[in-house]
Formats: sequence, C-alpha cells, structure tokens
Amino acid sequence: MAKAKELFKEFKIQSVSEFFRRNAAMLGYTGKIRSLTTVVHEAVTNSLDACEEAGILPYVRVEIEELGREHYKIIVEDNGPGIPEKFITHVFGKMLAGTKAHRNIQSRGQQGIGISGAVMFAQITSGKATRVITSTGGDEIIEAWVKIDVEKNEGKIVKKLKHPNPTGWRGTRIELEVKNVKYVRSKQGVFWYLKLTAIANPHAHIELIEPDGKLIVFPRSSEEIPKPPVEMKPHPKGVMTDDVYRMAKKTRKNTVKRFLISEFSRISGKKIDELIKYIAAIRLINSEEDKRIKDELSERLAKGEVDLILRSYGRRAKKIIKEVQKLMEKPPEKLSWHEAEEIVEAFKYMKFLAPPTHGLRPIGEENIVKGLTGILKPEFVTAVTRPPKVYRGGIPFQVEVGLAYGGELESSFNLLRYANRVPLLFDAGACVTTMAARSVDWKRYKVEDLDRAPLTLLINVISVHVPYTSTGKQSIANEDEIYDEIRLAIMEAARRLQTYLSGKHRRLYQVRRKKTLQKYVPEIARALSILTGEPEEKIKEYFISLIEKKFETVEEALEQPVEAEADVEA
Amino acid sequence: MLKREKPKERFGYDPQKVLRKLEELGKEILEEVRQGKNPYLDIPTRGLNNVYFDEVKRVIRMGDKLSRRYFLNVAHARKFMQTLLIAAYVKRLVSEGKHASLREAYYANKHTIPGTKENTFEDQSESDPVIEDLERMLGVLREEMHLTADRRGYVYGDITIRDGEDEFNTSKLGMGGWAVPGTVEHIQFVDINVDYALVVETAAMADRLIEEKFPKKERALIIATQGQASRGVRRLIHRLHYEEGLPIIVFTDGDPYGWYIYSTIKQGSINLAYLSEKLATPEAKFVGMTMDDIKKYGLENVTEKLKGIPPNKKGGPTGDYKRIIEEMNYPWFQTKEWQRQLKLALEWGVRIEQQALANKSLEFVAKKYLPEKIANEELLP
Repeated sequence: MAKAKELFKEFKIQSVSEFFRRNAAMLGYTGKIRSLTTVVHEAVTNSLDACEEAGILPYVRVEIEELGREHYKIIVEDNGPGIPEKFITHVFGKMLAGTKAHRNIQSRGQQGIGISGAVMFAQITSGKATRVITSTGGDEIIEAWVKIDVEKNEGKIVKKLKHPNPTGWRGTRIELEVKNVKYVRSKQGVFWYLKLTAIANPHAHIELIEPDGKLIVFPRSSEEIPKPPVEMKPHPKGVMTDDVYRMAKKTRKNTVKRFLISEFSRISGKKIDELIKYIAAIRLINSEEDKRIKDELSERLAKGEVDLILRSYGRRAKKIIKEVQKLMEKPPEKLSWHEAEEIVEAFKYMKFLAPPTHGLRPIGEENIVKGLTGILKPEFVTAVTRPPKVYRGGIPFQVEVGLAYGGELESSFNLLRYANRVPLLFDAGACVTTMAARSVDWKRYKVEDLDRAPLTLLINVISVHVPYTSTGKQSIANEDEIYDEIRLAIMEAARRLQTYLSGKHRRLYQVRRKKTLQKYVPEIARALSILTGEPEEKIKEYFISLIEKKFETVEEALEQPVEAEADVEA
Repeated sequence: MLKREKPKERFGYDPQKVLRKLEELGKEILEEVRQGKNPYLDIPTRGLNNVYFDEVKRVIRMGDKLSRRYFLNVAHARKFMQTLLIAAYVKRLVSEGKHASLREAYYANKHTIPGTKENTFEDQSESDPVIEDLERMLGVLREEMHLTADRRGYVYGDITIRDGEDEFNTSKLGMGGWAVPGTVEHIQFVDINVDYALVVETAAMADRLIEEKFPKKERALIIATQGQASRGVRRLIHRLHYEEGLPIIVFTDGDPYGWYIYSTIKQGSINLAYLSEKLATPEAKFVGMTMDDIKKYGLENVTEKLKGIPPNKKGGPTGDYKRIIEEMNYPWFQTKEWQRQLKLALEWGVRIEQQALANKSLEFVAKKYLPEKIANEELLP
C-alpha cells in the first residue's frame, strides 16, 4: 500500500516536469537563446502589469550575470507595488492553474503560465530556488526563496528573511539562476526583446545590464500610464466547444438559455429562439445519410434559409424544435460535450452583431510615435491605429502600425512585430505581419529598395484571441481580415512617409536649383556685358535679384524645421 | 546651249547686320531681367518634325515650331548661359574681323565656372549645337558669324575671285584649282567667264575632267565636292547660281549616296533646313550617272551590286535598297524621270560609278559623255 503511494507520488512529480517538458514550446522554453528571453519576458511582463494596475510609471531594470558556461543569473527589479507576504507563493508558485489563460482579456501574459514557469525553469535547470526581495513600501522588506512544490503543484517558500525598510523602498526584485541558456545580442535575444518592449511601452523606463557589464538604457518617453484592459464577455463567433462546455460548468445561472444570454456578448432572448431553430436544423441535416443532400442543405443553412429547411421537414421539425427548447431549459452544468458542440456549430451559421471593442487596448498613435522617437531617434515618424474589426466572423481585433524613417536608423529594413504589445521575436517568416509588410509596393511610396531603406515598421495586432500559427505563439496566422487591415495601416503610414519624402526632396531640389542658377550668373553677366555694353556688375545684380525673388517662397518653407512637419503628420 | 542667266540675288555680306542682331538679342534679355521677368531665348526646333518641303520654292524648310529656353529653368539654364557665351564670342570675332573654326570657338569659350567643378563647355558636342541654335535664332549663317567648318571641295575654271586682298583666276592656280574655304560669304566674283558650273562628286573625276581640258573646251566651272558637299561649297554653288546666274549641273555616282548628294545641293538637308534658303539651289539639274546610262553606253559589265537585302527578300529592304526606297518617297523625287531611275536601280540591283566610264576610254567622259548629254539637255530635274 505504502509502496503504491510512493509510486503515485513519483508519478506526480514526473508529470509536472513532464508537463513542462512536453509543453516547452508552448511555454517558450525551447532553445538556449529563447529560453533566456522567455525568463526575462515573464519577469518584465509581471513588472509592467503590476505597475499598470497600480498606476505607477514603471522603472524596470534587468541584469544578466554570467556565472559559467551557459549558466546565468537573471535579476529583474521594478518599482511596482510590491507583493504582500502572503501572496508571494501565489504569485510565483501557481503553476498550472492558469490565472489568465481562460480569462477573456487582452493580456500580455498570453504566453502561458507566467512567472511561475520561469521559477520552474530555473528550478529544473539549476536546481536553485528563486530569490524574491519585495516590499509594498511599508516597514519591512521581505527576502524569500521560492520553489515550486511539484508534489502539491504550488509555490513553497524554502527560506524567508525580514529586513527593516528605513528608506521606504517599494518594489520587487527577483533573481533566477538558470542553466542551459545563452546570452546573445541577436534579434531573438534579451537586448532586442527589451528594445521592442520599450518601444511599445513608452511609459516605462527600462534598463539592461549585459553580462559584460554594459549598461543600456531605454528611457521613458511618455508620462501617461495606459489603462488596464477590461474583461469582455466572449462573442459567440469567437468561442470553441471547450469554452462553452467549461463555462457552463462554472456558471451560476440555472438554465442553459440564461447562461448563454448572460455570459456571452450579443446574445439576446430572441437570438436564443433563432439558435434553437438552427440547432434543430443542424440535427435534421445530420440525420440525412446522402452526403450530397447534407452538403446542399448545409449550404442553404449558411444562406440563412433556416425556416425553409425546417418547413420541409414538417412535423419532424416541430418535434425536434421541442427537444432543443427543452435543452435550453436544463441546468447548464448538465450540458453535454455534444450539446456544446451543437451550440458552437449553430453559432457559426448565425449572424451576430460585431463584438464590443472596448476591451481592446491599443498602444495608441501618440504613444507609438513617442516610443519610436525615444528609442530609435528617427528623422520621420508616424503611426496609424486602425478602428477595430473582426475576423473569422466575430473575433475582434485591431491593428496598429508605426513607421520610423531616417535619422539614426541604419540603412536596413526592420520589422518590429507585436501581439497585444508583446514583442514577437521568432518565426518572422510565417507571420502575417511580415507577409503584409512585404506585399506593399514600397516603390510607390518613394522607398526604392526596402531592404536598404533606413526604415523601421512596427506592427501591433491586438485581440482577445490572437490567431497564432503555432503553440509557440511567435507568429500570427494569415487571416484575410488581419492581413488586409495590416496592409491598409501600412499603406496609410507609407503615404505619409511619401509626402514627407517628396517634401524633403522638393526642398533639397529647390536649394540645388537656386545654386545651379546662381553659378551661371557671372558667366551670363560677362556675356551680356559684351553684347550690350552695360556694366557687368549691374547685370549681375539684376540676375541675382531675379533669382532671389523666384525663391522667396521656397526660403519660407525652408525655415520650418523638418521635425514640425513630422509632428503634424503624426 | 547652257548660258548664264540674269542674277536673282546680290552680294549681301554685311558684318554690321550680324552685330546689330547680336546686340538686339542682348538688350532684349537684359530688359526682361531688369523688369523682373524670366528671360528666355526662342529657338526654332531642330529635327524632322519641324521640317517641311516647300512646294513653291522647292526647298526643305524649317517649320515655325519654337522651343523656349528660360534662364530660371534648371534644365535650360546651362544652355542659356552657353548660348550667350557664344553670342558674345561671335560679337568679338565679327567686330575684330577674325574667323574661328568650330573647335577654336569651343576652346576659346571653355573654362571652369568659378567656385564649381563645372566647365562652361565640356565637349565640342556642346558648343556645336549652340552655334546652330544661334544661326536659327538670328537667321544668320554660321559663316556670317565668322565661324568656319572644315573645308572640303575645290573649284577650277575661268572665273576671277576676290578673297580679301587677293584676286585670282581659279583656272590659273594649277591643276589643283582653288580650295573652297569654310566661309565664302566675303568672297566676291570679279569676273565670270564660264557658261555653267559642273558639280562633281569625286575628286578623281574632277581631276580627269581638268586633265582633259574640259573646263576650257566646254566653258565650264568644275566644282569638286569630294563626297557630300560642305557648307562652303553649297553656299558657293548657291551664290554662283543666284548672284551670277550660272546654271548648275550635278554629276555624281549612280547610286543612292550620289543621288542624295544631288538632293542636298538642290533642296537642302534636314539638319540645315533653316539654311535652305541660303544653301539650296533648287534649279540645279542632274546629268548622271543614271540607270539609263548603263544601257545607253553599254556599261553592263562595269556595274556594281547594290548592298543590303532587296525589299522582296526576307529581312529586306536594308542597305542601299532601303536608301533608294526612302529617296523614292522624297517629294522632290516625285517626277516620272526620277521614279524611273530609282525603280530601275531596285529592279536591277546595281549601281554605277562615274569612273566606270573609263571602261570606254579615259577621255570618254570629257569628250563624249558629258558634252553630248549637256548639249542635248539630257538632264534630270
């Protein structure tokens, strides 16, 4: 008996590590460079989210210390609200509960299991506990070493110290020791990740100390703290069977009908009547054996001919409608998987109002401009935030594009990809943002050779449900609507760039024109003096004043600094 | 018999006229600038689309299309400057009574513009067109502006010419005759003791005729063009015809190139359409070689094959054939006689050189061919 218990325990321990290993890709812990970036990402995200919620302008400092070969200490410190003592295990230990995973909220932390995953990764690779130093600004500072109890699947403080806090310091500092990772200053590494994060979060001050001791500062360029996103009810077009099934189990409503009306957006009592008809029709269609008839009826159903289909079945239809009506009145926790499936299928055929978009939190044109200006120091910058749209018939999303050109930018094209403000560093080739950016005919916008242009493009796709191509969540799937929106946004930004560039060319051209004309004046004056006998100097004066008059208007335009025009554009 | 006619033009060389025109040009531009206006030069457009054939005067003439060259236009400014530079240079030349070649004019005006790395003229190909522009703008010959081209061609015959301080008879200068200078504007004809002028394409043929004493016997003036007639030669022909009433007879090879030489002397050329009135001689007539000569004088054995692909063959017409077809379409070759010659050339695919007449005998051309044809007025229009 005891032996069995041991075995079971063993099994459980294995299963948590096993889970981690199996889902490494989903959690972001594949590859040596990426794993390190993910650890930093989880910690920085935690810091930014905490500051945002507490209304604090974030100050985040990341330090990477090299302890040995592929062995690093990662320190992330913030000025956030701090973590009350009793919540420490909750924040760092809740391994698989997934606090955010099932909330219908646009969140940075869509990556997976958050900071607890990082704690777990440290624990697996180096065997060390994560050191947490935190204070809410009160009298004491708490220093705790946190591990994950794989047996209980929760956080465990292995050691705890309390220190006085005479200066009233507030914030959180965590130190993770990890092995099997590598610090590289590539486009997949920590440096690039923080740079992109800083651009998308201009309200944050971010610092990085690299393993060789080099300090890199991404300064704050906006004093405005973004509003935290709000939770939204799911839209019928955006849910899967699993969602409906799980929500039905948790709801407090007592009938399926009330559950659907209250927990989904855009579902009314009238819509429930419609839903009943559609489910009935689907059941009838599914009862047909001939595949051809089935397909034909499905097609008609998609066209909205639900009443006609039901009428063609006569009394049988009425009977089935009654059955479905009954289903709507039963307690939601009794909803079967199959019934949930039917509901979701019916949703696909039905029409709903577009979902509300107040849950989407774009970075905003102004902040994108600030972020790009502050970090990249370009000569021209502009941003476009498109109005919200839906894809797959009901999932709201929004696209933002920022464009920076010239100035301190190198002469190569850079695409900064974001999903819900989170930088995407991997799988760029498969990403809809890359495809859309490449599909634009840049020559039309005075960008002759995109790959050699000093041009950086920021694309942020915001949605409660970003369609990633894979569990790695590093590239966005090519949904037609998203692709089109990205293109439209890029083209709008590119048009502004074009206006700027042609203005710039025009001004340069005017200066050159003036000089060209001026240099011929002495020659012409001498020739005309010979031809007419008038004094050379006098003729020169005539010509010079003629040129001055011609370019008067141009001079005025020149006095306007380039920057001002860029601001207007933005 | 051919005889001198009454003159239609008078010696009209007047350096003051050129100077006046240049001064006028300068004053107009200066006035524009003084009034704060964008000064410009109106230049008759060059090229085929501004050229037409004047059916009445029977010369190629320039149309009235103008291109306006503005100072305040960056694309024009350089040419504007260059045109004025040359104009000023011409004024100095003419008022000092000096002549310069085109190349000299180029070097004289080429210098680096102060404060730049740019030259006023980078190449002679920049200055030559500017000079042509001035000619067209002012309606003044390059020669009148004392700018001379390469000389080519010579004259032999009993005429007395005054060239500056020299006076001479061109039949007393040896067998080589008098070489025609680049500019003949200032030349004056003191005494004309010939009945007509024979314009000969090749120097070899001209030399043959001189050796055979053709000029003396036939009271003819030989003008050797040595290929395409130079401007000096064309102007000389024009002046001899219009100022001295000499009939002009042209003698070239019987091939498209020879006929084109005739065409240029008679009607002017497309490039110099603006000068046709001063260079062309529409009354000129053509003595040979013709296709009919081949049959008439039994020259079948001494013809040469035309070059290129005939029009009825694949890829044709090219080369000589193409040229002949082009000439068939010239308005001034729209006569029965000429169409016949050109058609025969196409049909037979042959050409006949002047010197092929030597096949008969060396003196054949001087003793028989030319005197007979000219006496019988077997001439093409």
